[in-house]
Amino acid sequence: MGSFESRSRWETRSEQTNNSNNPQEDVRVIHCNDPQANAASKFKGNSISTTKYNILTFFPKGLFEQFRRVANLYFLMIAILSTTPVSPVQPVTNVGPLVLVLAVSLIKEAFEDRKRFLNDRVINASLIDVFQDRSWIKTPWSQLAVGDIVKVNQDQYFPADILFLASTNADGISYIETSNLDGETNLKIRKALERTWDYFDEENVSKFKGIIECEHPNNSLYTFVGNLVFEKQTIPITPNQILLRGCSLRNTDSIVGAVVFTGHETKVMMNAMDVPSKRSTLERKLDKLILLLFCILFSICLVGAIGSGAFISIQYWYLGLTLPSIEEQYDPRNRFLVAILAFFTLVTLYANIIPISLYVSIEMIKFIQSNQFINNDLHMFHKDSGTPALARTSNLNEELGQIEYIFSDKTGTLTRNLMEFFKCSIAGVMYGTGITEIQRAAAHRTGLRLEETPQAEDAIKEKGFNFVDKRLMSGRWRHEPNPEVCKEFFRCLAVCHTVLTEGEETPDKIVYQAASPDEAALVTAAKNFGFFFYARSPTAVRVREAHVEKLGQVVDVEYEILNVLEFNSTRKRQSVICRYPDGRLVLYCKGADTVIYERMADAELNLYKEVTRDHLEKFGVDGLRTLCLAYRELDAQLYEAWNEKFIQAKSALRDREKKLDEVGELIEKELILLGCTAIEDKIQEGVPTCIETLSRAGIKIWVLTGDKMETAINIGYACSLLSNDMKQFILNSDVKTIRDVEDRGDPLETSRVLEDWVAKHLQDFVNKAEQGASEMDLALIIDGRCLMYALDPKKLRKTFLKLSMMCKAVVCCRVSPLQKAQVTTLIKDDAKKITLSIGDGANDVSMIQAAHIGVGISGQEGMQAVMASDFAIAQFRFLTDLLLVHGRWSYIRITKVVAYFFYKNLAFTLTQFWFTLYTGFSGQRFYDDWFQSLYNVLFTALPVIVVGIFDKDVSASRSKACPQLYKAGIDNLYFKWRVIVVWLIAATFQSLIFFFLPITCAQFPQNSPGRMLGVWDVSTMAYTCILITVNLRLMMASSSLTKWHHISVGGSIAAWFVFIFIYSGVQISFIQDNIYLVIYTLMSTWYFWFTIILVPLVALSGDLLFMAVQGWFFPYDYQIIQEEDKYHHVEDKDDNEQQTEMMAIFHSPTPEDRRMNAMSQLPGERSKHTGFSFDSPGFESFFALQEGVGTPAKPWDIARRASMRFPQRGKGSSSSPKTSLFQRNY
Amino acid sequence: MNGASTSETGVVTGSPVKKESRRPKYTKFTQQELPACKPLLTPGWVISIFLIVGIIFIPIGVVSLLASNKVVQIVHRYDQTCLPANATTTKDAQLSYIQNPGTDKKCPVTLTVPKQMKSPVYVYYELDHFYQNHRRYVKSVSSAQLQGNNVSSLSDCKPEDYVNGLPITPCGLIAWSLFNDSFSFSTVSNVSVPVNKNGIAWKSDVQKKFGSNVFPKNFPNNNLTDPSGIGGANLSSSLPLDQDEDLIVWMRTAALPNFRKLWGKIEQDFQPGDTINVVILNQYNTYSFEGKKKLVLSTTSWLGGKNIFMGVAYLTIGVLCIVLALVFLLIHLRHPRPLGDPSYLSWNRKNSHGTDNLRS
Repeated sequence: MGSFESRSRWETRSEQTNNSNNPQEDVRVIHCNDPQANAASKFKGNSISTTKYNILTFFPKGLFEQFRRVANLYFLMIAILSTTPVSPVQPVTNVGPLVLVLAVSLIKEAFEDRKRFLNDRVINASLIDVFQDRSWIKTPWSQLAVGDIVKVNQDQYFPADILFLASTNADGISYIETSNLDGETNLKIRKALERTWDYFDEENVSKFKGIIECEHPNNSLYTFVGNLVFEKQTIPITPNQILLRGCSLRNTDSIVGAVVFTGHETKVMMNAMDVPSKRSTLERKLDKLILLLFCILFSICLVGAIGSGAFISIQYWYLGLTLPSIEEQYDPRNRFLVAILAFFTLVTLYANIIPISLYVSIEMIKFIQSNQFINNDLHMFHKDSGTPALARTSNLNEELGQIEYIFSDKTGTLTRNLMEFFKCSIAGVMYGTGITEIQRAAAHRTGLRLEETPQAEDAIKEKGFNFVDKRLMSGRWRHEPNPEVCKEFFRCLAVCHTVLTEGEETPDKIVYQAASPDEAALVTAAKNFGFFFYARSPTAVRVREAHVEKLGQVVDVEYEILNVLEFNSTRKRQSVICRYPDGRLVLYCKGADTVIYERMADAELNLYKEVTRDHLEKFGVDGLRTLCLAYRELDAQLYEAWNEKFIQAKSALRDREKKLDEVGELIEKELILLGCTAIEDKIQEGVPTCIETLSRAGIKIWVLTGDKMETAINIGYACSLLSNDMKQFILNSDVKTIRDVEDRGDPLETSRVLEDWVAKHLQDFVNKAEQGASEMDLALIIDGRCLMYALDPKKLRKTFLKLSMMCKAVVCCRVSPLQKAQVTTLIKDDAKKITLSIGDGANDVSMIQAAHIGVGISGQEGMQAVMASDFAIAQFRFLTDLLLVHGRWSYIRITKVVAYFFYKNLAFTLTQFWFTLYTGFSGQRFYDDWFQSLYNVLFTALPVIVVGIFDKDVSASRSKACPQLYKAGIDNLYFKWRVIVVWLIAATFQSLIFFFLPITCAQFPQNSPGRMLGVWDVSTMAYTCILITVNLRLMMASSSLTKWHHISVGGSIAAWFVFIFIYSGVQISFIQDNIYLVIYTLMSTWYFWFTIILVPLVALSGDLLFMAVQGWFFPYDYQIIQEEDKYHHVEDKDDNEQQTEMMAIFHSPTPEDRRMNAMSQLPGERSKHTGFSFDSPGFESFFALQEGVGTPAKPWDIARRASMRFPQRGKGSSSSPKTSLFQRNY
Repeated sequence: MNGASTSETGVVTGSPVKKESRRPKYTKFTQQELPACKPLLTPGWVISIFLIVGIIFIPIGVVSLLASNKVVQIVHRYDQTCLPANATTTKDAQLSYIQNPGTDKKCPVTLTVPKQMKSPVYVYYELDHFYQNHRRYVKSVSSAQLQGNNVSSLSDCKPEDYVNGLPITPCGLIAWSLFNDSFSFSTVSNVSVPVNKNGIAWKSDVQKKFGSNVFPKNFPNNNLTDPSGIGGANLSSSLPLDQDEDLIVWMRTAALPNFRKLWGKIEQDFQPGDTINVVILNQYNTYSFEGKKKLVLSTTSWLGGKNIFMGVAYLTIGVLCIVLALVFLLIHLRHPRPLGDPSYLSWNRKNSHGTDNLRS
C-alpha cells in the first residue's frame, strides 16, 4: 500500500514540475551513457578534495586562522604597539618571536594539508571500469562523470553514488557492505530494477539509454527519490537500487550501474561533517591562567601608569622636559595623557608575561607525544589485525590523564561480536570444558588457579564453534546416558532456526547467513555434532544426519516446516513445527529460560529441570548467553485445530503480531526440556582485567548498548563490571504493568504512567542507596525508554544524576545513538566530570563526539566511529596503556610545562617591573631588546620541550601496576590553583632576588681600580642569573633526567654565553649600543663570579626548601613509588606478574565479609543472574535518526530475504513493508 | 581532518591490497624507554645539599666581609652644607642661588681621615634622585656619533640634537646634563693634592666607544646662562671625547637613581687623623629635584669598594642553610621517614586509617 501511495505521489509531483516548464530547478536529469547530453547540466566531477588550502589561499587563510587565536591576536597587537614611539623596546623584541611562532604553526598546517592532499590524490587515482566505446576501460575515479556506466567488481568500493542496473547474480541482487557508512558489518541486499537486469554485457550496455530523473544531491543516506525513464516507461527508483559511495560490493562477482551523484555531491560526502575540534579541560584552565596573567599585567601596568603620571615633573631638568617640542608621553602639563601612554608603554614592555611560545611549545610537545609515542607504542599494537594505535588529534593528550567516566559501547568494543558455541547441558549433564574470560578474571581476582584443559588435537576450530568435550564429538554422544535426548537436542539445533545457507553444500564450504551470530553459532554447532543443515526451501529444512544408526552412515533427512513462530522480544522464544519424513509432528522451541520453564510439561516428564537450572545459573555466572531447548510431540488432530487458528491470525489485518503471539501460546506449552546451550559472546581479550584496572584507577565505566537488557547485564558480568555481590538497581520498562498500559493504546497515558513509574523507582533507588552503607557497591541498569524520562532536564534529571553518581557501574541498554550522547552529556555537563566514550560503530558516533574524548575501535571494518574519534585503538584493553600510561604522563608533562612557562615568564617580567619602580616609571627596559626577544624562543625554549617529551615519574609498567596513581589526574592534583600559586609565589620571590641582589651589589665600586658599573652591566648580570636559575629550576622539576635534559639545559646556558660573547663583542651600532663589550667588563670583576653563584642558589633555595618539605612530609603517591623503585628494587616485571604482586602488596584484603554483611541487610532480592540473549542488536542508524527518518529496524530481515530467494512465496506481500520504510520522507 | 576524508581514508585502508606491516618500529625513543637517572629529593640529599651550600657560602661571606672591612671610606654630603645661609631655607632660594651665575659657588670643606688610607684613594661623587635610567634620558645619545661615525639622524638625541640647525656633538640629554661640580684637594699645610683623572673610565669605553677624533661641536656651553637656568658642564671643543673621562664615566648610565661615579684618583697615602681640605665648586643643580650630593673618598680592596652587602648575603644564606640542614637532620633522627613505604600511599592511608590525611 505504502509503496503505491508514495509512487503515485512522486509521479504527480514530477508531473507538476514538468508543467512548470523548468524541470532543471527541481529535478536532476541524467542521461545514462550519453556524455554529450549531460554536458549541458554541468555536473560536478568525481574528484574530491579535502584540503583546507591551496597554494594561493595558504598565506591569507592560514594567517587568518592563526589570528583567530586570542593569544596570537594579542601578540600582533603588541607587535604593532612596539613599532610606535610609545614602545620602550625595538620592534624586533615582539615581532621576532611572533614571526617565529607563526612560521612554526604555518609549517605545521602546510604539512598536515599536504597529507590530506596526498590522501585525496590516492583516492582520486583509484581505477574503475567505465564503459566507453563498447568496452570497459579502466579509468581513475576522478575522471568519472555523472551518467557513466561503471562496472564494480567484488570487494571493490563504489566510486560514486550509483544506480544499480544489473548484476552477475541472475535475479539482479547484490550484497553490499555499508560499514563505512554506519558501522554495520552485516551485508545488505540491493536489488536492481527488473527492467534493467539484462544490461550487463558490453553488447547490451551500449544499448542502454535511460534517463534518470531524481532529487538533487542531499545528505540523507536512507532516502532516494527518482524515476528511471527507460523505453518510454517511467520506473520509480527506491533507495534499494542505489549503491552509495563508501560501500563495497560483497558476495557478488560484479555489478553494472549508472553514476548518479559524483564527488562532493555523493551522499557520504554530503554527510561529511567537520569533526568539532575539542579543547582539553586543561587548556581551558590555561585560559583562566592567562586571564590571571592579564590581570597581573594590567595591575602592574596600572601601577606603572599612575606612577608615571605622578612622577613626571619639570623639576627633573636633566630630562629636558621644558625644552621645546616635548613629546606628549613626557609632557608634565598633561599628566593624564602621560599616564595613559605610559600604560601602553608598559604593556609593550611586559608583553612577555604572557608566554608567546607556550602554545607553540605545547603543540609541539603534544604532536610528538601523539605521533611518536602513542602511534608507535608497541603495547598498543594489535598483532592480529596489524593495527597500531592512532592519535587523530594531538589536542587532547593530557585529557587522557584525567578521565573519570568511560562510556563504552558493547558490541565490537567490549566483545568481539563473535558468538561461539561454548558449552551445553543435555539431559542434565554439562558438556564443554572451556574456560571463559570471565572465569579467568574471577580467578585472577580471587587468586585461585584454574586448571586449563589442554585443547584436544582433534578439536574442531571454526567460526562460531569453540566447544571442547570429547564426550559429544565424533558421534560419541551415543554412549552418553541419554543418547535419545542428545539426538533431539541436536535436531532442535539443526531445525529450529531461520538461518539461510550459502555456497556449496558441504560442511567445510557452507556459509550460514543468520539474523544474529548466535543463531549461526547454534547451527554450526549442530553441524559439528553431526546434524548438518545444508539447505532450506520455503517449506522444508534439509539436514544431513550422520551417526543416526551407526557410525559412518549418512542420511539426508528433509523436515517439512509447517509453521515458524518467530522470535520477538516479548516472546523471547522461537518455535518451529516440523513434520518428519515418517509423519511425526514435533514442535521444537528454543528461548529464554524463564519463558521455557513457564511452559514446561509436568515434572515427571521433565526430569532435568532442576539440574538444568543449576547449569543455567552456572553458565550465566560465567558470562555465557544461554538458551533453553525444548520440544513437544504433537498429534495431528491437535495440530490441525491449532493451525487453523494460526492461519487466521496470520491473515488478520489488525493486531496481527499480537494475535500471532496469542496463538503461539496455545501450542507452546507442555514442553519437554532437552537442555540448554551456552554461547560465549566472546569478550575481547583482556577486557575484564582492563576494566578491573581502570576501576581501581578511580574511573567509572558505563556500558551503553543498543542490546537487550539481558545481553547487556550478561556482558556486564563477563567484563567484571557487574558481580553478584553488587546491589543492582534495575529499571526496565519492558514489564507487564507498562505493557498493559500500552495495550490500551493511549500514548499520552502511557508516557504519564511510564514517567511516574520511572520517578517512583528512581527515588526508591536513591533512598535505598543512601541507606546502604558506602561499603556497598551499587550498579544501575536502565533501559532506553526509562532513560528518556530519567534524562528529562525539568524533572528527573537531578535524581538520576544523583543515583548514577553513587553507582560504581551503570549499564544502559536499548539506547539509541542519540541517548548515548545524552547520557554522555549528562555526566559531562551536569556533573562536570571528564568523560571518554569508546565505540566502534556508526551508532557510537554521537557519543564519541559528545564526550571530552572519543575513542574508536580500529582495525575492524567500520570506519565511522574511528573517523569521528580523537584516538583510535584496536582493542578495548589498550585503554589501560592509553590512559594509565600515555594519558597520565601527558597530563603530568603538560601541567609541568605550563606551570613552568608561567613561572619563568613571570619571574622574568617581574624583574622588569621592579626596575620600572626605580626609573621614574618611565618604562625604560631593563634588558637589551635581543635578550628579551630571545628569552622565550631560544634560551629557555628547548629544555621545557624536552621535559614535555621525556619526563617520566614512574615507569610504564609501574603506572599500570599501580592504577591508583591515575587518581592524581582525576583530582587534577598537579594543576590545582594551589599548585599554580606556589609556582607564582616562587616566581615573585625569585624575581626579587634576580633584581635586588645584582643591583645592590653593583651599587659599590667594583674591583680594585674602583670603577663603577652601569645599568647595562647590571641587567646583563641579572639576565645571566635568570637564565641559569630557570634552567636549573627545570632540572629540579624533572622526575627523570635523560641525556637530552642535560644537553638542552647545558646547551641553553652555553648558548647564552656564546651569544653574549659574540653579541657584545661586535658592534652593530643600530642594534646594540648598550651591550657593546659589557660581558667582558663584567667578567673582569669579582662581582660577576660571586653574583653568579649567589643569585641562583639563593633563588632556588626557596624552591628547594619547599620541595624538601613537600617530599618529606606530604609526599605524592608517585614519589613513594619512585622511592620504592629506587630503594626497594621493585623491578619492572612482566605486566601480569607485576599486577598480581602489586595487588598482594597494596590491596589490603578488601573487607569482603563486611560488604556481604552490608548487602544482606539491604532490602531487595539477590540477583541470580543467568544469561540470555538472542536477537541481533537492532540499531537505529545514527544518521537516519538525525534526519528524523524511520530506518529499517532490522536491515537484515530474514523473512524478506527468504522471499527474495524463493520468489514463489509471494513477492508482493513482502515488498510492501520494505518500501514503506522509505515512504515517510515524501 | 574532516569527515569528508573520513570514509575515503577508509576506502583506502580497507582495500583488499594488503599493505606492509604497520607494526611500529622499536626504538628507545618511541617506546619512551630512554635511559634516565631519577633524582630523588630524599632526606639524605636534602640535608647534604643544605649542608654543602652552607659550607661553601660561609667562607665566601667571611672573605668578602673581610675585604670590605679593609676599605676605608669617607662620605661627605655637601649639597646642603655648601649653601650660603640665606639660601638654605626654601627651594626657591636654593634655586636662585645655584642658577645665578654670579654667586660664589666655592665651598671649602675639611675631611678627617679615620684610618690609614693607602694610595690610590678614589674620589667619587654620589647623586641621589637622579634618574639616569629614565627612558627619555637613557636613549638620548648617539653612540655612532660618539665613536666618530657618520651619523645621518640624531633623532634619538632629542631634544638636544640640533642647535640652530647644526648638529650637537656630543648630542643628547646625557652629555648635556654632565655633572660639573669639581673638587680640589689640599693638605692642612695647603699643599695641593693632585687628582689623577686618567683611568677612571673602563678601558673598553675609552678605547671603543669614544672616538679620538671626535671633538665637541655646537655644544650648549651656556647652561648656566640658559634662560631655563639649569646645570650641566661645559665641554672644551679642543678636547677629543676619548680623553674626557668625566664625560665617559657620566655616560655609562647608572642602574638606580642613587649612584656613585668615579671622579678621580689621589695617588697618595693618608694617615689616620690627617685632615684634607677640599674646595668644592658646587655648581651642579640637584636642588630643583631635591637630590643629595655627596663626596666620597675611598680606598679599594681586591673586591672593590666598601660593600658589606654581598658578604652579609653570603653569610646569612650560609648560616640559614646550615641551620636548615641541622633541623632536617634532627627531624630525620627523631622521626625518620621510611623511604618507599607503601603505607604512605594515599589509597592505603585511606584504607588503613579511614582518614584522608595530609593531602587531598
